[in-house]
Formats: sequence, structure tokens, C-alpha cells
Amino acid sequence: MTTKDLQRILYVEDEPDIQAVARIALEAVGGFQLLVCSSGQEAVAAASAFAPDLILLDVMMPDMDGPSTLVALRTLPEFKATPIVFMTAKVQTSEVARYRQIGAVDVIAKPFDPMTLSDTVRSIWITHNGIPS
Amino acid sequence: MSSGLDIVEQLRLQEEGYAKQLPSKVAQLDQAFSQRHDKDALRTLRFLAHGLAGSGASFGYPELSEVARQLEIKLDAAVEADRLLSGLESEAVGDLLEMLYYATQRRSRQMPSSAAPFTIPINVEKKLIYLVDDDIELAANLALQLGHFGYQAKTFDSPEQLYEAIADPALAAILMDIIFPQGDLAGAEVIMELAMTKHLDAPVVFTSVRNDLPARLAAIRAGAAAYIKKPVDIGALVSTLDELTSNTPPEPYRVLIMDDTEALAEHYAYTLKLAGMLTEVVTDPMSILSHLADFRPDLVLMDMYMPGCTGSELAAVIRQLDNYTMVPIVFLSTENDTNKQLTAMKLGGDDFLTKPITPVHLVSAVSTRLRRYRTLRSFIERDGLTGLLNHAAIKQRLALETARTVRLKHAFCLIMLDLDHFKTINDTYGHLVGDRALKNLAELLKRRLRPTDIIGRVGGEEFAIILLDTESESAAKLLDELRNAFSKVRQYADDHREFNITFSCGVAEYRTGDSADDLYKKADQALYHAKEAGRNQVVIAS
Repeated sequence: MTTKDLQRILYVEDEPDIQAVARIALEAVGGFQLLVCSSGQEAVAAASAFAPDLILLDVMMPDMDGPSTLVALRTLPEFKATPIVFMTAKVQTSEVARYRQIGAVDVIAKPFDPMTLSDTVRSIWITHNGIPS
Repeated sequence: MSSGLDIVEQLRLQEEGYAKQLPSKVAQLDQAFSQRHDKDALRTLRFLAHGLAGSGASFGYPELSEVARQLEIKLDAAVEADRLLSGLESEAVGDLLEMLYYATQRRSRQMPSSAAPFTIPINVEKKLIYLVDDDIELAANLALQLGHFGYQAKTFDSPEQLYEAIADPALAAILMDIIFPQGDLAGAEVIMELAMTKHLDAPVVFTSVRNDLPARLAAIRAGAAAYIKKPVDIGALVSTLDELTSNTPPEPYRVLIMDDTEALAEHYAYTLKLAGMLTEVVTDPMSILSHLADFRPDLVLMDMYMPGCTGSELAAVIRQLDNYTMVPIVFLSTENDTNKQLTAMKLGGDDFLTKPITPVHLVSAVSTRLRRYRTLRSFIERDGLTGLLNHAAIKQRLALETARTVRLKHAFCLIMLDLDHFKTINDTYGHLVGDRALKNLAELLKRRLRPTDIIGRVGGEEFAIILLDTESESAAKLLDELRNAFSKVRQYADDHREFNITFSCGVAEYRTGDSADDLYKKADQALYHAKEAGRNQVVIAS
């Protein structure tokens, strides 16, 4: 399988402030196409139509948290292998290990620097897929 | 993709929005804390703390993130065990909430990433000065000179014009001549009248050719903050203005806390932090050496009994290290046997505080020591003429930064700077005038560089600067702007002669494997090349 460029990102986050700053970080700074969802339910409903290359999930959300959203997305056949990255303010080694175990490819620490977030995401993409051809 | 400027502006707008919500967030936290006997309220508190921890730094509040995170960790223990807070925990959470409130008051542009680009700290915000003098040419010239030192001067040619000048809230100081065509004390009289009729908030600095007591008395009676004799020495004027208009607090005191009981150490740390000090906690006595080197404390607060060694032994070890013979060591212990206390002091301690200690007592005991230590150290480390670090101190800092970079791998630069044809200046105008030029340069460097940068005077007319987190290109660009600004500063000799003076610079960036001496040599060589190539220029070491 030839690796493609990272273009479409689905971002799930309940905090409107952080949504806004991530939008700047990923759209304006990173140049990605971004769909922002405010809850896990919304993400599951919108994912198929948007067909993201990568999914960013906040861990702590009311109702459906990041890990449950991951499980729900994985039940959809087209998202069996889509790389999913967690974003969380709690990055203890044990937690990172747990998130990887349930299928996250990486964990991004919050608070993130809006100027470098897209680089971080891109490097996770490259580590996961290899350099785009 | 948006342009760079757009992104910065968009981020700024987001930060503003975030800042506006902070007071209500703090109120929610306080509200939840006031109901801490209820487990649900504790959950809410943890949730709110988590949100702030994960967002603060993205919106320019790194300290807020840090404090909120500590708060979340503290609450985690109780919430996960489904219990209420213990007395000690409750107190710690209360302290953290207070710190969190302070953190919401402090916005920093710096993002948590170390990759944040270096921005040249020039034209931060010019301070507004009203300059009243009937000699229009002199006033215009002085305004120009002040401009190089970060002041924006608005000139008036008669004192009466001050009545009409709207009291600008940005006004930092008034610079007032005394003799005007209206009278030999007209300047002082107008200020006195202004002070009586209106609120005159800004400090007034009088400048005059008069040096007699009646003129000086008139100035004092008008509430003068300073009196400077004409012709105005720009260096002296800038020092005075800097002192009068400084709104940057002095560098906070740094206290290293060595206690094997972490909860207690953290408690002391909170107490001292609330008093505006920087603290670092060490719980393993065996790791104290690296903490000393990295944190460079102004004072060490030490427990007496710890696993592996006693406080007195540790104090004796610290006293044998070259750089720490002077740092105050204060013991904090439940020990109340006077003989044992005296033994501890003989081995190197400076003071003995008995636990338990009230926060007020701790802060006051520590502050007194710190103040004296700072003053004493400044006599030893600083150059008397310029107030910059001396040769020995800058070499020590260079060695420290080199060691730190080996571990932390961030870029830094050493700059050697030398005034051009300085001997000629001394020979032509005398040493006093030469000294003034050195002071002028020191002022310019202090004003224009970041507080974290390290500036020293290493020889007669030679200066060394360590720019942290900076690559050679940015350093050279910055130094070139300073070179240009300084070359335009008019220097005054006592006999009304004027001259300009320039400097040359060599810039060397730390490369892996460099020793402090290597770096020194490289910067020196680059300086030599700058001199060879005709002076008044900046050269990057190859």
C-alpha cells in the first residue's frame, strides 16, 4: 500500500475554546481539512461521510469519552484501521500504555502549542505510515 | 493557508476570549471548593481543574496549566477513592486555588514548546515622556536619543502647554527644564501649580543648567523625583527614568527546599510561592548536587534528618563546593536541642527554624536572608561601573550553560563585543567620558535584551553576552540592530563636544562537543575578524 499525504482530520473535543484554537492550529497553521465534532456520538454519526485519514480524540468528554468513542468508531468497517490519536492532559506513562493497548497510535499532551500541533500530528502520521511517496 | 500574521491575530483573539472567561471559571472553582464536604462537588472541582490544565498554556497561560494540573492530581486521590479531602489535602487544595487565581492574572506569550521562535525583544512598548524645554533643537535631539533607549518623548516648548496636554494615562514621566523666558524658575512653578490643581501622577525629572540651591529647592518643593544638571548625560538620564518608570518586578528569589517528606516540602513550596518566590523541591538528598547546579538557588531550606545523611553533613558538603560557599542554608527541623542546633550551624548552616512554623514566620525569616544575600552577591558578581556581571561571574555562567546544553540540547550563543577605538575616546575626552560611554552601552544592552539573557563586562571595553534559546542568525540580527541603535546614540563630553561610538561583535553558537573555552575562543576569533574587516560590524564564527 502506498502511503498518502495526511489531509483530512476528524477532531473530537467538547470544549468550544479548545475547538477554536485547534481549528487555527490544524487548518490555518497546518493546512489540513478539518471536521470538528463536539461529542463522541456526533463523531460516530459524521465519520463515514467525512472519511478522515486520521482521528484526534479528546479523552475526557462527558457521556461518551475518548476510549468509548474509539471502540464505537472501530465497529464501523471503514474505520477498522484508521489511525486514532488521543489528546489528554493526563500523560502518565501508565496511561499512555493503556491508550495504546486499546488501539490508539499515539497520545498528544494537552495543553498543546497551537504553532506546533500540526507538526506533531504530521510526525505521528509519518511514524505510523512511513514517509508519503 | 492563512498568512503568518493572520494566524497570530487569530490566536490573539482566541486568547482574549479565553482570558475573559477566566474570572467566571475561578468563581466556579471557588464555589465547588466551598462545597467540598460533598463528593459531587469534588468531582466538579476535579473536572474544572482538568479543563484548565489542558487548555491554559494553549491560550498563553502556562503557569495556569501547571497549577491546575497539581490541583487535579491532589483531587484525584480523594475522588478515585470515593472519599472526602483530608485536613491536610483540603489546606493544600485551598493554597493551590489561591495560586491558580494568581496564575490567571499572569499571561505569558510564551508557548510551552521549546521550539517557539525567537522574537527580537525590540520596541516592546515605548514609554511616553513629556519633554518640556524652550530650546527646541535640544529637545528634539534629546527626544531622538531617548528613542534609542525605549522612550517616546513628546516635546513642548513652553511650560504652559502642559496645562492643555491631556493627562495621558500612558504618561511615564515628565522631563522639565527650569529656566524659561517666563522666569528663572518658571518650570518648577508650573509643576507646582499643576500638582495643586490637577492630579499629577507621573514623576517629574528637572533638568537645568542651574546648580544653585534655590533652583534645587524649588524643584524639591515642586515634588521633583530627580534633578539632572545640563548638559544632560543620556546614560544618567536613562538610568533615572528606568528606575522611576520600571514596572518589572525584580527577579524572584529562588529557594531550594530539601525535605524527604514530600507533602511537607510541597507545603513550604506553596507558602514561599505565594510570597512570590520560585521554589524547587528535592526529596532525595543524594540528588541535591544536580539540583544546585540547575536551579541555582539563592537559599537552601533544609530538613535536619533525612535518609542517607543528615542536614549538617549535606550543608558541609555544599560549603565545600566552589560556587556555594555563600548561599544561605537554613535548617528547618523539629530539633530543639540547642547544642545540636549549634553543631549544625558550625558545619555550614546559617539559621535554624523550628517546625512547626507559621507561614508568615517562614516567609519573613527566609526573605531577610535572601535580601542580604542578593546584595552581598551583587558586590561580588557585578561590575561596579555598569552593574553587569563581571568576568569571573560570566565565565561561570558560560560553563553552566554549556553543561546544561549538553543535557537539554537547546541552542545558545556567546557574543563577544568590543567598543571601537575606545582608547582614542579616552585619550581625547578623558576617562570619565569613556566610562560614561561604557555605561550607556550597558544600559542599552540591559534594556533591549531579554531578562533571561546574561550580560557581562569582561574587560575594559569588552562585553560578553549569552543569549539563551537563540541561534546564531537571530543573534547576529539582534546584535546588528543594537549596533545600529548604539552608533546613533550621541555621547557627550564635558566641554560640549559630542561624538558617536561604535562596537564590533563576534557571535558563536554552541555546537555539540564544544567546551566553554572553545566557545569563548570562537566568539573571540569572530570578534577579531569583525575588527579586521573594518570594525562597526557583527561577524558570525565559522
